[in-house]
Amino acid sequence: MAVNVKNSTAQSKLTDNVKQGSVKPQKGPMKRLVKYGLIFCIPFVAVFLIFSVYPVFRTFQMSFMNYKGFGKETFIWFDNYARVFKDTLFWDAFLNTLKMWGVNIVLQLGLALLLTIIFNDMKYRMRGLGMFRALFYLPNLIACTSVAFLFKTLLDWKFGSVNQLLLASGIISQPVNWLTGEGLTAQMVVGVVGAWMWFGNSFIMLMAGVQGIERSYFEAAIIDGAGRWTIFTKITMPLLRPIMLYVAVTSLIGGLQLFDLPYLLSGTKGEPGRSLYTAVFYLYDTAFKNNQMGYAAALAFVLFLIISVFCGIAFKLMNRKEED
Amino acid sequence: MKKLLKNILSITLAASMTLSLAACSQETDGGNNAGNADPAPNNGGGNSGKADKIVLWTLSNDLKQFAERYTNETGNEVEVVVFDSADFKTKINQTLGTKSTDVDVFVGEPQMLPDFFEAGFSADLSVFDSQVKSRLVDYTYQAGLDSDGVLRAISYQACPGSVIYRRDIAEKVFGTDDPEEIGKLFASFDEIENTAAKLQAEGYTIFGDTGALRWFSNSSSPWVKNNEIIVDQDRLDYFDCAVELYQKEYVAFAPEWSAAWYASMAGPLPMHAEWSALDEVSDNSQTEVFSYVMPSWGALIVRDNAGDNTGKYGVCSGVCSFFGGGTFLTVNEFSKHKDAAMQFIEYCTLNDDTARWWLTASKGDVVSNKAVLEENKDFKNESFGNQNTYGFFLEEMDNIDYGLITAYDDACKDAFGAAIISVQKGEKTKEEALKEFYTVVITQYPELKIPENAPINN
Repeated sequence: MAVNVKNSTAQSKLTDNVKQGSVKPQKGPMKRLVKYGLIFCIPFVAVFLIFSVYPVFRTFQMSFMNYKGFGKETFIWFDNYARVFKDTLFWDAFLNTLKMWGVNIVLQLGLALLLTIIFNDMKYRMRGLGMFRALFYLPNLIACTSVAFLFKTLLDWKFGSVNQLLLASGIISQPVNWLTGEGLTAQMVVGVVGAWMWFGNSFIMLMAGVQGIERSYFEAAIIDGAGRWTIFTKITMPLLRPIMLYVAVTSLIGGLQLFDLPYLLSGTKGEPGRSLYTAVFYLYDTAFKNNQMGYAAALAFVLFLIISVFCGIAFKLMNRKEED
Repeated sequence: MKKLLKNILSITLAASMTLSLAACSQETDGGNNAGNADPAPNNGGGNSGKADKIVLWTLSNDLKQFAERYTNETGNEVEVVVFDSADFKTKINQTLGTKSTDVDVFVGEPQMLPDFFEAGFSADLSVFDSQVKSRLVDYTYQAGLDSDGVLRAISYQACPGSVIYRRDIAEKVFGTDDPEEIGKLFASFDEIENTAAKLQAEGYTIFGDTGALRWFSNSSSPWVKNNEIIVDQDRLDYFDCAVELYQKEYVAFAPEWSAAWYASMAGPLPMHAEWSALDEVSDNSQTEVFSYVMPSWGALIVRDNAGDNTGKYGVCSGVCSFFGGGTFLTVNEFSKHKDAAMQFIEYCTLNDDTARWWLTASKGDVVSNKAVLEENKDFKNESFGNQNTYGFFLEEMDNIDYGLITAYDDACKDAFGAAIISVQKGEKTKEEALKEFYTVVITQYPELKIPENAPINN
């Protein structure tokens, strides 16, 4: 914090000096170096413009067109957007996405937080943090296709290890149809698998957050006689909130774009009964199966707006709490 | 002096880069992209009578054999590139969307062709119109026409459908294996239910799974007419039949393309194998599958997987005549070698010798050339109990009504299939499932309407 204050003071002094003319603009060799700096930036800027900025603008333009992905494009004003709001399939798919993300984020953050507390508790003195960190992060490194195949095998209702284990231990008397029975069960499964894949990532973030908190706060609290729960609720949680918000927002952005896992765990139509049909799954079908590129572009932009609104709300809530 | 040295160095570097790039581009032209090169130095021009080298994009290896034979006979080169079917349409859209000349001839299945035509990717093949109309099977001619009736694609193949049944089981259960008689057992959805019940009583199942019935979903009317979605009595019967077959366990629950489905062609299999490996379900009760509903290429799959049942199969007609798939050839509108491309297409599709050769080389594929099929209509096919299969397919193709095909068929069939599954599994009532079917189709295609006499309005 102190370093930041020093930096900002130095910066404002420099700005004042430049304004007053006491510091002259760079000339000669320095100016030439600036030119090289700009040249070195060109490859990134070019790639960014071509592969990121242009597709966004093109998609936006396409969202006002009746376009199949080939042939003629017809300008149709806001017809595609009007259609999105009447599209029950899209909103059902969006609701499915929210359900799966909901299960995912609760488990992902809950588990990551629990592990963070355990690994930071002075009493437990947990060893091998580096090893555990790598182990927890490992599922995130496995390709989604492999994860889906693994869980499809484990959760097979007849021969899957999960059902065999539960049956053998007497917890269930009939095998559970995890992925081909009830829609809600399948959605829960996707949420749990997603949480398994991502909790390691959240754990690393939260650990970094906790380790960034001044140790003196904890020491002072202990000296003042604060218990573990008080330290956790009054020091750790409030100071971890920005990191938790970051984890939640990044998870939300990724979660609302959920596609690969449900696509691979279900059939081609989000079975059972469209319960695993997500918003991006629908967007994909619209663009590449039904050849309605213009409408798919509108769906993409509506999804972008929804994610922006959700993120805005999350930041607003966070700022309000900080102000409080 | 220093500046001069710098300038010399810059010029040298720039020149070396330019030249190396030029070298690369020359290599590319001569190698991968020979189709784009100037025809004169490439092929000796028109003086030798040799056509340009062409590039063909296809979905299967069949056309590699055609290209090899073509090159051997004419000396003209064809570079064949085979793509995975899942990516093919996207690949064509992306490539030809930029008016690329990298490909001269590309293929398409009937359901892809209208989009290719509308996008302007396929060149006009009207020069062959009268020949195709008179010499090839009618539905293949119809499928190659664009919305204005201009011929843009031609097929060497025809894929009429049939019911492929076990003659030994037919003899045992129904007392006859005659295709005419067995065809009557599949003449309507009601008959199919009766047949299935009789087979079950003897320990057999009528199909691998109820998906076999989908081929009969275009029995009397198109899925969309005057922008209205049509669910007529035949489609409702199909719906009821699929639910009954499933719920009464008249099928083996061995879905198409599963290990169990392939195994069923050679002998007994466990019930309810679904997608499991057979050894995992070996304790389930055993059954034998009586029949398969598939286009002509499916008959070859059954023949090749029949094992000890080889020669015990027969083919007969079902609820309606149908077709499925087929490889159509079309010339890239932007090709620089259209003449050579057309010459190749003509060779593959309109040459009687090629059709005769393919009939033998493919070991049973059905060609689109009517004259060649006529020549072979009395051919006794050993794999199908010495039945005259070409004669049978010729008759079936006469009954195919291409007018029943619409651009909405895939979406309607998918949604109707999903509705059937939801009732089969008890997730929805028939009415709820039909309502969802209409909702799904109309949401995907807002221009469509539910007619007043739709079953959900009654």
